[in-house]
Amino acid sequence: MTGFRGATSVVGVGTTDYFRRGTSPMTSAQLVLQAILRACRDAGADPRAVDGFVSYGGDANEGLAIAAALGVREVRWSSEVWGGGGGGIAAAVNNAAAAVYSGQASCVAVYRGLSEADDGRRAFAKGHLGSLYTAHGVLAPPQICALRTQRLMEVDGVPRSALEAVALAGYQHAQRNPRAVAYGKPLDHRLYEGSRMISEPLRLFDCSRENDGAAAVLVVSSDRAGDYQGRPAAILAGVQGAAAGWTDSVENEDRYTSAGFHPALVARLWDDAGVGPGEVDVAQVYENFTGPAVAAMIDHGLCPPGPAAGDFLTVENLTVPSGSLPINTAGGNIAEGFVHGIGLVVEAVRQIRGGSANPVAGADVSLLIGGPMAPLVSSTVFGSAATV
Amino acid sequence: MTRTDPSVPADLAGIVAAHGKSVAAGDNAAVLADFSPDRIGQLIASADVPTPLKGAEVQSIADVDDGYFDAVIRYTKPDDSWFELRSRWVRDAEGIWRTFSVRNIPDTPPWMDLTGPSADGLDTPHWDALRDGRMLLQRCSACRTWAWSPRPICPTCHEFDMRWEQVEPVGTVYSWTRTWQAFTKESTGHLPYVVVLVELPHAGARRVLGVLADADGVTPTIGSTVRGEIEQPPDDEHWPLVRWHLEGTTS
Repeated sequence: MTGFRGATSVVGVGTTDYFRRGTSPMTSAQLVLQAILRACRDAGADPRAVDGFVSYGGDANEGLAIAAALGVREVRWSSEVWGGGGGGIAAAVNNAAAAVYSGQASCVAVYRGLSEADDGRRAFAKGHLGSLYTAHGVLAPPQICALRTQRLMEVDGVPRSALEAVALAGYQHAQRNPRAVAYGKPLDHRLYEGSRMISEPLRLFDCSRENDGAAAVLVVSSDRAGDYQGRPAAILAGVQGAAAGWTDSVENEDRYTSAGFHPALVARLWDDAGVGPGEVDVAQVYENFTGPAVAAMIDHGLCPPGPAAGDFLTVENLTVPSGSLPINTAGGNIAEGFVHGIGLVVEAVRQIRGGSANPVAGADVSLLIGGPMAPLVSSTVFGSAATV
Repeated sequence: MTRTDPSVPADLAGIVAAHGKSVAAGDNAAVLADFSPDRIGQLIASADVPTPLKGAEVQSIADVDDGYFDAVIRYTKPDDSWFELRSRWVRDAEGIWRTFSVRNIPDTPPWMDLTGPSADGLDTPHWDALRDGRMLLQRCSACRTWAWSPRPICPTCHEFDMRWEQVEPVGTVYSWTRTWQAFTKESTGHLPYVVVLVELPHAGARRVLGVLADADGVTPTIGSTVRGEIEQPPDDEHWPLVRWHLEGTTS
């Protein structure tokens, strides 16, 4: 454990509505600004006192431009996490926490916004697939995750039921979240199994959506958390990484069926957090696709590898109120909506702070997992006051 | 005329014949009405159907189990040349026959517009060599480690002199996926196609991607042996590509 543990907290969250892709009435900058303003309102913070801006995944809205639109008094920290995919979601939170912990900034907004009209189709994946992929017909992230998931199933023996459980858990939680895109659209085994193949073994419901929207959270020093309203969610630990032989190698990754959370990174996460995987009360697991989410849970030691993953990863076990590890409690990327995973950050915080549509009773340890199978991956452990 | 399994329901034969006529007549409303509603976009993008057409003839309808039937329809163009589509049919919840999937047969690999050397030029020797009928991968001149994808220096020993060496295109399937969704218009007419990730024992177990040829109805197994053949492109806009063949099958 380090002095970093619990030194910073999230004191505000804000989201816009999630729109069907291409239908946002606001520009992507306006979406981001609305999310930050709502996070400030949630925290009781003065928007002009936000002095740090962090995003990831090539957000089109640079921190300085957002700061200028907000009319902030001073920008002290402005950075973006490199690496494609949603691997930056937790890394962005960690980045903000590092800025605050080191005294470089006092109140940092972590945000992500997407509007297809402004940012283009699949803006979150732009430029990551060179012609060594595309010439051979591999044009989109689901195909890459399909290749890795196929080996996860065929060689490692993870059953399809594990993938299905991730999709169904998100949909089940979304039925109690009126903000979710899939609210009122339940998913069952028959519908899942009958859905069209996108790229084998991934079916339609194994894939996240694409939505217009934005969300933001505010990170401050835990010493100052009392200046803001509501219950803070302490940042216990955060890691980001890409092990040797993992990144940008056109499917030559070592530990090919892992999600990229190598053992040293995972050990560091639990050591720094002072908790183990068995103590996680609730997890937001980035499901770009269900297969990578399953691999991420295996990497983190949340569930056993291979065929036994299917025994643990069941809808009952992954959902409130009785599951041992409820995941994606707002619906996740698959059912709440996909704005490059930023919604998962908000929900991870809400499980501690309050405001979740599916609160896990007495949740003290809330895990956020970003970007499985992406070139960069990251995780953050949030904790209640009782954990600090 | 039609070769039909005795197990093919009587009503399906008529529906398939009518469907073929609708396609040939360019009656899109009638064609779309036959499609499974949750698959319309995918089905439209799957088949390459040139127009105009002057005729359609059902070649066969076969029972492929679990309530699915495969129909092959031959479409004739005004110049009497023809092509064939194979569609899969199943009854929906209301008992109505619907098109579940459709493809051009025989299967042919796609030629994507995003091809050739990358902007940084790092992989240019690989592409150039394909034009000479050889597959080259990058290898460090000093420590002899194979590098793939290509790197600006050797990640193992930091040597700047990276060379290119010919590799026999033989390997094993490390993983695979069959893609059904048209992620780009060039996919149309070739869906579904199978991409294999091939581990090359002659290149330090580095892995390369490529389309598996003759994959219609074939489900690859990880570990299977495959052999690559360099296929020349249909035009000057494209670059040659290594296509992979399961060992024991002919091209």
